[in-house]
Amino acid sequence: MTARMLPGNKIDEFAVRLMRSAEVVAPRRVGEEDVFYGAIASPDEIAWDYGTAVEPLKRFLLPQREPILRFSTNGRIRVGAEYDEQQRVFLGVRCCDVTGVAVLDAMYGGDTVDPYYMSRRERSTFIALTCQQPEPHCFCVCGDAGPFLEGGYDQQWTALPEGMLVEIGSAAGEALVRDNEDLFAEAEVDQVAARYRLAREAEQKFGEFKSYIAGAMRKLSMNEVAPAVWEQAADRCMECGGCTYLCPTCSCFTVTDRMAGQDGVRERHWDACLYSCYAREASGHNPRPEREDRLRARFFHKISHQWAVRNGRQACVGCGRCVLGCMGWAHTPAVSEGIRRGVMT
Amino acid sequence: MPEIATVCPYCGCGCGLYLHVRDGRLIGVSPSRSHPVSQGRLCVKGWHAHEVVDNPNRLTHPLVRREGNLVVASWEEAAEVVANGLSKVLESEGPQAIGVLGSARCTNEDNYVLVRFARGTLRTPNIDCSARVQCVPGPAPTSGGPSLGAGAEEIADLDSADLILLVGSDPTEEHPAVAARVYRARQRGARVVAAAARAHPLARLADVHLPVRPGSEVRWLGSLLHLLLAEQGFAADADMPGLSELRASVAGLRPEDTEAATNVPAEALREVARLYLSSKQVVILYSTGLALSTVAGPALQALGSLAALSSRGGGPEVSVLGLLSRNNLQGCRDMGVAPDSLPGYVPLNDDAAVARFEQAWKCEVAREKGLRAWEMLGRVRAMYVVGDDVTRSLPDADAARRALEALDFLVVQDIFMSPAASMADVVLPAAAFAEREGTWTNLERRVQGIRKAVAPPGEAREDWRIVADVSRAMGKPLPYESAKQIFEEIADLASIYAGIAYPPAAVNGGIRWPTPEGRKAGETVAGSGEAEVTALSAEALKGPGARAETNEEYPLLLAADPTLRPWDGEVTVCHTLTSAGEFAVVARDYPDGMLCLNPEDAKRFGVRGGRPARVVSPKGESQMQVRVTEEAPEGIALVPYNQAMHSGLMEISTDPETGRPVLAPTPILVGPVQ
Repeated sequence: MTARMLPGNKIDEFAVRLMRSAEVVAPRRVGEEDVFYGAIASPDEIAWDYGTAVEPLKRFLLPQREPILRFSTNGRIRVGAEYDEQQRVFLGVRCCDVTGVAVLDAMYGGDTVDPYYMSRRERSTFIALTCQQPEPHCFCVCGDAGPFLEGGYDQQWTALPEGMLVEIGSAAGEALVRDNEDLFAEAEVDQVAARYRLAREAEQKFGEFKSYIAGAMRKLSMNEVAPAVWEQAADRCMECGGCTYLCPTCSCFTVTDRMAGQDGVRERHWDACLYSCYAREASGHNPRPEREDRLRARFFHKISHQWAVRNGRQACVGCGRCVLGCMGWAHTPAVSEGIRRGVMT
Repeated sequence: MPEIATVCPYCGCGCGLYLHVRDGRLIGVSPSRSHPVSQGRLCVKGWHAHEVVDNPNRLTHPLVRREGNLVVASWEEAAEVVANGLSKVLESEGPQAIGVLGSARCTNEDNYVLVRFARGTLRTPNIDCSARVQCVPGPAPTSGGPSLGAGAEEIADLDSADLILLVGSDPTEEHPAVAARVYRARQRGARVVAAAARAHPLARLADVHLPVRPGSEVRWLGSLLHLLLAEQGFAADADMPGLSELRASVAGLRPEDTEAATNVPAEALREVARLYLSSKQVVILYSTGLALSTVAGPALQALGSLAALSSRGGGPEVSVLGLLSRNNLQGCRDMGVAPDSLPGYVPLNDDAAVARFEQAWKCEVAREKGLRAWEMLGRVRAMYVVGDDVTRSLPDADAARRALEALDFLVVQDIFMSPAASMADVVLPAAAFAEREGTWTNLERRVQGIRKAVAPPGEAREDWRIVADVSRAMGKPLPYESAKQIFEEIADLASIYAGIAYPPAAVNGGIRWPTPEGRKAGETVAGSGEAEVTALSAEALKGPGARAETNEEYPLLLAADPTLRPWDGEVTVCHTLTSAGEFAVVARDYPDGMLCLNPEDAKRFGVRGGRPARVVSPKGESQMQVRVTEEAPEGIALVPYNQAMHSGLMEISTDPETGRPVLAPTPILVGPVQ
C-alpha cells in the first residue's frame, strides 16, 4: 500500500486546489437532513460526517435525462452530438459508490463504448472516503464494496484524529499528491495500522440487512429458485423503479426524440427493467409480461454468477439504497433471503 | 446541480421530493429521506414528476376559438374574450347560469382566488370541484373525521398499528406511500385485513381477505358489528346514544346469513372480529373503492360506529384515514371550493363570518347554496373550469361531455390540452407545479410549500394570476401579487390555517392544520369531536337491490373498480414518457375496455385473454377486451372505473343523500364475439 498523510489543517486547502481545475463533487447537506453528492463552491459545504448519500454517483455519469444529439430537418438533415467535457473530482464519496462505477464501466466502456458516458468517465477522479459507521440499511460488506476498499479508487481516504490517511490507487491519484506535495506528510506505521483496525471494527457494525448473497447467487445461477419466490416478490413490488434508479450499478436507459418545429433533440432517459413497458415490443408482445418475470431478470443481472463473470464482479455493491427506496418489500436483501430460503416472508 | 425541495404533484400522500435543474430545465427527481411521508421513497409517478413539467405537449399560449378553431391570442385578448363571454351570460341569464370548477391539482392560493372570483366577481354560488364526488359526506367516523378533514389521524399511525383494515382501498395503486407503510407494518408483525372484491397484492398478502361483493359494503360491516356486539361480547357502553338503535339495525345479521349476499365467508369474518378485539391499535384505511360505491355514506357511517364503539367501549384505539386521490383535494375543500361554504368551511349563513370576507374582498359575496359539480352540468349556460378534465372526473362522463358541448361558453385553464380543454371557447395555459410558488394540503392536512424551479413555457402563468387577470378584465381587479400574500390572507380569514407561516417548508413535511392557534377554529369546523354511533339504514343494508342481482339471462356481475388502474389515461400522466408507458396501458392495450375475468369465468363463458368479448347488460351492449386474472373474483367482472363510465353498460344511479351519480353494479352476459 502506498499511503501518505494529509494533515487535518490542509484538507480544505487541498480541496480548494482541486476546485481550480475541476468541478469538485462532494457530499453536502440539502434540506433538513438529506445528503446529496453535488458540486461545491467551498470546502465548508462538505459533510465529512455523513452516513450515505441519498443517491449514488450515477447521476453524474449517466444523468436521469440528457440530450445526446440535436438535429434539424430544415432543408437537409444536420446532426450534432453533445458531450459533457467537464473535469470532475469526486471527493469524499463512499466506497460502495466508487465500486458501483466499476460496474457501469463494464456496461458502458466494455465491448461497446458509449461515448457520452466515457466522455464523463475519462474526466472523473474518485477520492473515496472509508466508512467507519455503516447505517442500518447498509450491507456493502456482503457486496465486496466496503466499508474500506483494497483497490478500484484513485485515492482512498480514512479519517484519523490527525488528518486523512491517503491511500493511492492509481496514477491519477498519485499525480494529485505529486502536484500538491507541500500539503502531504509521510504516513507513520501506526497510522497505517489504525486504518486496518478501523476497517475490522467497521465490519462488525453492520445491521439487520446483511445479505448472504453467495447462497442466493448459487441458487440463481443454477436455476434452483423456487418459482413461488418470484410470485411472492411480485406481490411485494410496486414497480416504482426506485431500486433501479437508486442503484449505483443499474444502467438501463431509453431514448426519445423531441421536436420543436424543424429542430429536434434526441434525449436519453433512465429506464427500469421493472416497468411493464420496458421490454414491450412495438407489436404489443412483451417477453416479460408479468412482474415476476421482470424481477427475475433484474436479480439475475444483479447477483447471478453469469453476470458477475461479465461485469468482473457481482453487480450489487450492498449500498442498501434499495432497502430505503423500495415502496414494497422486494429489495435485494429481502429477495436474496427469499431465494435462499425458497420463500419470502 | 441544485436540488429544489418540493412536493410530488400526483396523489394525496404529498411525498417530499427534490427537483434537479440544469440550464433552466428540469433534468430529474430524487426522493427525500427526511420527509415524513416519503421517507426516501417515490412511486413511478414521483420519480418522473419532471416529465409532466418539461414536456413538448404543454399549453404555452392562450387560445381563443375563432371560426371553430382554437387560435393563439395574447393574454389581453383572451382575458377580454373571457370577460365578454361571461358578462353576456351574466346579463342575459344571471349569475346562477355560470358554474365554476376548481381543481384538486392546483394550489390553495389558486383555489382561494377562484372562490373569490366566483362568489365575489361573478356573484355565482355555483363553485365546486368534481373530485369532491369521492369525498364521502355525512357524519365523520372519529373526532370530526375525514368528511371535514379535521381528525387527528395521520399516515404515521400505521407505524404503531397492530391491525390494518383496508376497506375498498388498494394503496399499491392509489397511494403508494401509504402502501409502503403497510408493507413495513406487516414485516414487523402487524396484521392486515383487506376488504375488496379484487384480490390486489396487499389482499393476497393479507392475513384475511374479505372478497366483498360490490354494493354489499354496509352489509358485511353490519355483520361485523353484529359479531362484535352480540357474539364476541364487545364491552360497549350501554348508555351510549344510538347504541340500542345500532344493535337493533344489525340484529340477526349472522355472518352465515350474510355470506351469500356479501361473498364474505362467515369464518373469515369471525377471524376479523377476533383480530379486531385482540388488537390495541387499529388503522382503517378507505379510499375511492368505498367512497365511490353505491352505499358510500352509510358504509362510512358504519365505520364511524365501529370506531366510536371502540373508543367508548374499551376496544382498540381506532384511526380512520380517508385517502384522498389528488395532491390537493384536501386543500381544495379547505379553500371553500364547494357550493355550501366559504374558505375554512365557513357556513354561508354565519353573518359575522361572511361579513369578514365581504370586508376583506370589498364586495358582496354570493351567499346562496350553489350547485354541486355534477348538478351544474346541463343546468348552467357557461362554465369556468380550472385544472379539471370533467370528461373524466365524474361518474357520468358521457353526460358531462354532452353538457360541455351544449354550453354557450366554456373556459378551461390547464397545463395540457385535455379532452375538456379541446371543447373550450377559450383555453388558458397554466404554470405547472415546478414553475410557481404556493401550497398544497395533503390527505393528512399537511400544508406544504411548493417551489419554483424553472420558468413556465411560453406565456403560461399561475392559475391565480390568470383568474385575477380575467377579473380585472371584468372591471373587478383582485389585488394579488404573490402566493405569499394570498396565503397570508387565507390564514387570516380561513382560521383553520391560522398560525401557519408562509412558506411551510416541504422539506420538513410542512405544517399540519390545525396548529394550536388554529385548533379552536378547527374544532368548531369538525363538530364536537365526539364519536357517534348510528343505526345502519335498512336500505343500505340491502345494497343496490334487484337491479344488481345476477340471473339466468345475466349471470355475471359487472362492477366498476375505482382502485383498478386509477391513473390510467389521467391527463397529467398520459403526456409523459415513462409514466405514460406505465399508465396508458389500459387505453393502449384495452382501448375498448379492460374486462377483468377470473380464469373460471373466462372458461365458463368461452372467452380468451387479450381477445374482445361481447358484453350485454340490461342497459346496453358493448365489446371489451378480456384480461384473465386471478385478481377478479369468480362471478364478478371488474372494469377500471374510468372505462366503466364510458361503457354504456352500467346503470348510473343517484346517491339518495347527496344526489351524486354512482355507477351501480350491473348484471351482464359475456360471450365471444361472433
